[in-house]
Amino acid sequence: MDIFNNMILGFTVAFTPWNLFYCLFGALIGTLIGVLPGVGPAATIALLLPFTFNVPPVTALIMLAGIYYGSQYGGSTTSILVNIPGESSSVVTCLDGYAMARQGRAGPALAIAAMGSFFAGCVATVIICLLAPTLGELALKFGPAEYFSMMVLGLVGATMLAHGSLLKAIAMILFGLVLGLVGTDVNSGTRRFTFGISTLFDGIDFVVVVMGLFGLAEIISSLDHEKKKEILTTKVSGLMPTRSDLKASWKAVIRGTVLGSVLGILPGGGAILSSFASYALEKRIASDPSRFGIGAIEGVAGPESANNAGAQTSFIPMLTLGIPTNGVMALMLGAMMIHGITPGPRVMVERPDLFWGLIVSMWVGNLMLVVLNLPLIGIWVRLLTVPYRFLYPAIVMFCCIGVYSLNNSIFDLAMATGFGIVGYILLKLDCEPAPLVLGFILGPMMEIYFRRAMVLSRGDFTVFFTQPISLTMLLAAAILLLMNIAPIVRHKREEVF
Amino acid sequence: MRKKLMLSLMSLALIATAFVPYPDSALAQTYPTKPINFIVPFPAGTGNDVIARTIGDKLSKSLGKPVVVDNKAGATGAIAGEAAAKAPPDGYTIFIPSTTLSINMSVSKVPYDLVKDFTPVALVGVMPNCLLVPSSLPVKSIKELIELAKSKPGQLNFGSNGFGGAPHLLAEMLKIAGQIDIVHVAYKGTNEVVADLLAGRVQLLFAPLTTGIPLIKDGRLRILGVASDKRSPALPNVPTMAEVGFPALAIPNWYAVVAPAGTPKAIITKLNTEITKIMAMDDVKERLTNLGVEPRSSTPEEAAAYIKQDVAKWAKVIRDSGVQMK
Repeated sequence: MDIFNNMILGFTVAFTPWNLFYCLFGALIGTLIGVLPGVGPAATIALLLPFTFNVPPVTALIMLAGIYYGSQYGGSTTSILVNIPGESSSVVTCLDGYAMARQGRAGPALAIAAMGSFFAGCVATVIICLLAPTLGELALKFGPAEYFSMMVLGLVGATMLAHGSLLKAIAMILFGLVLGLVGTDVNSGTRRFTFGISTLFDGIDFVVVVMGLFGLAEIISSLDHEKKKEILTTKVSGLMPTRSDLKASWKAVIRGTVLGSVLGILPGGGAILSSFASYALEKRIASDPSRFGIGAIEGVAGPESANNAGAQTSFIPMLTLGIPTNGVMALMLGAMMIHGITPGPRVMVERPDLFWGLIVSMWVGNLMLVVLNLPLIGIWVRLLTVPYRFLYPAIVMFCCIGVYSLNNSIFDLAMATGFGIVGYILLKLDCEPAPLVLGFILGPMMEIYFRRAMVLSRGDFTVFFTQPISLTMLLAAAILLLMNIAPIVRHKREEVF
Repeated sequence: MRKKLMLSLMSLALIATAFVPYPDSALAQTYPTKPINFIVPFPAGTGNDVIARTIGDKLSKSLGKPVVVDNKAGATGAIAGEAAAKAPPDGYTIFIPSTTLSINMSVSKVPYDLVKDFTPVALVGVMPNCLLVPSSLPVKSIKELIELAKSKPGQLNFGSNGFGGAPHLLAEMLKIAGQIDIVHVAYKGTNEVVADLLAGRVQLLFAPLTTGIPLIKDGRLRILGVASDKRSPALPNVPTMAEVGFPALAIPNWYAVVAPAGTPKAIITKLNTEITKIMAMDDVKERLTNLGVEPRSSTPEEAAAYIKQDVAKWAKVIRDSGVQMK
């Protein structure tokens, strides 16, 4: 079959010594920057682009791809160990992963994250092989109405992510939404909420918000309490997950993988949306949702698999259609063009060695990463024993370097600090930051898609209900909303939290 | 005590020498004595960035000092424009603006002036926009497109990669020049709009030739025309806007290396000589052509005239189309 020939071609390309070396290098760097909060794959890829000028295009792409999915592996590490998402797609892992760490179960959390990610990575690679052409076409069927409805569903689902008061969750979502509105309007060029500050013309950077809300706020609030000392004294034992852990998580891994694979292909989707969606799904279908947020391993297994699957399948639209679905893919596109390869449907035909070599190397990279990460868990865990008076300034420093590396902007640093203070206040008020982040991402996108759908339909509202996919998602959102508000369920929810 | 005094006096003297200005001609001979900052208005991976890195790499070698690319993205180039305009004109800051910065001068208020705040060094590349339509649209030429639009007023959509960008403005000009009623659908960036173009949700799109050429290879999109006054060597059978009767749309995208106004002429000339040599190198030409950019070189004066003309052309387009950013 054609697939086997392609796979063989891919293996011969991926297994040359140079390509293997660059794959390992990329994966290592990727994991490292994934672990470091604030420095992301996009910045790293951009920085390393010039170093790829002198190597063949396949090698360059293999290394850069390694950085990307490697960072997904690494991102989970800091989420679990210090409640700071190393990558924006690891935000959800903080919720249950960190809770598990506080219970002395950091080892199993990390191990499950690594294993789930590996499984997802392998499956995603297979999916790419089998479905690359067809999958690319599917994404084209999603018009603005469908995207809008999907995001409505996502926001309603975000109420699932929060503990405690439903009202506070909605308030957080709305707050995030308003923050997301800062910037230039796409349709009219009007600048909104920018106060004339030119750095705000493009909106508030997501990394700035997350670094402040999760990283700095956490540190400030930790200085407030002495409770952190307890974690240091508890010995972290049992690096390997127990049988029951594995039993509990394998289904979550599969669900996460499927969800991530689907969401990764959609433009604008990708690793972040996949991890949020997976968490919401796991919580929804869990037999005992109260465990979520206080150390449910499904809350780690699902999202970690989803974000890895999402990261890899997001290569599909870029490789098959030449359309990048997120910033990192755009950089990969740029890298391809620098090397004289025009991305698009022709790449598979004109440069099969590149296409299949890259795909096989992704699998190789995943293998390398799981081999690297499982033994290294001990080292990551030992990070926790570093006295906080060293760890905190180090984390703050890394956050600052990361934020500054985005745009070389002191203003961004000031904003991150501001968000740190805001985040601290929110923590004191017992408000969850996760729905805020979701509102921040999805809000502006919803507005764009809504208005575009309206322009295309010439002002006809019914377009959201006449398109089948859109209608399905809106109905699902409505059902979800009703279930949340219905008095009986509401009572139970408050009971449970 | 005396030793300390001597030491402080000596160090003061040393520091003072740093403030002694070099005479102009001596400057050109010793220039550069430290790394040069190459400001790029867009993030890594974009056209400006790739060209800057290519040129910067070669320039480092020929000048003997590192040329450091500094991506100052944001506000569609306004942040970089402001930074470059305010940089000291000592030859250690160069900047690579492009058409977007020229357009923005007329569409909104920007904290820089391409004509007044900069002394151009050289034009380095030109890349026209092209008019893309999905193959499912039954038109094979611009004339047919205009006819179709006239027969269906208000029904055809045109996409753009953002409000106030070249694709938006060119389409507005087409509206006026062709007297057709087409509806603007704005997108953030080119990738999403291409997806909708392929899906047939928008019917036409002006896009950079770089984006357009790979997309027509599998036949799902068609390029009806090139917004330039010369046919593109990559598409010899495609007419230009000037040929089909829309000369007002013949404004290609350009890239140029400039320095802050007031930079000594000797330094500008030296930079121009080096860059002209670089633009003649085969590997540089190849890299730019792979990007879809036609490599160019010019004298500083030619570059200055080109930029001035371009700013004026776009100002006219924006006046005529009435597009304004609030």
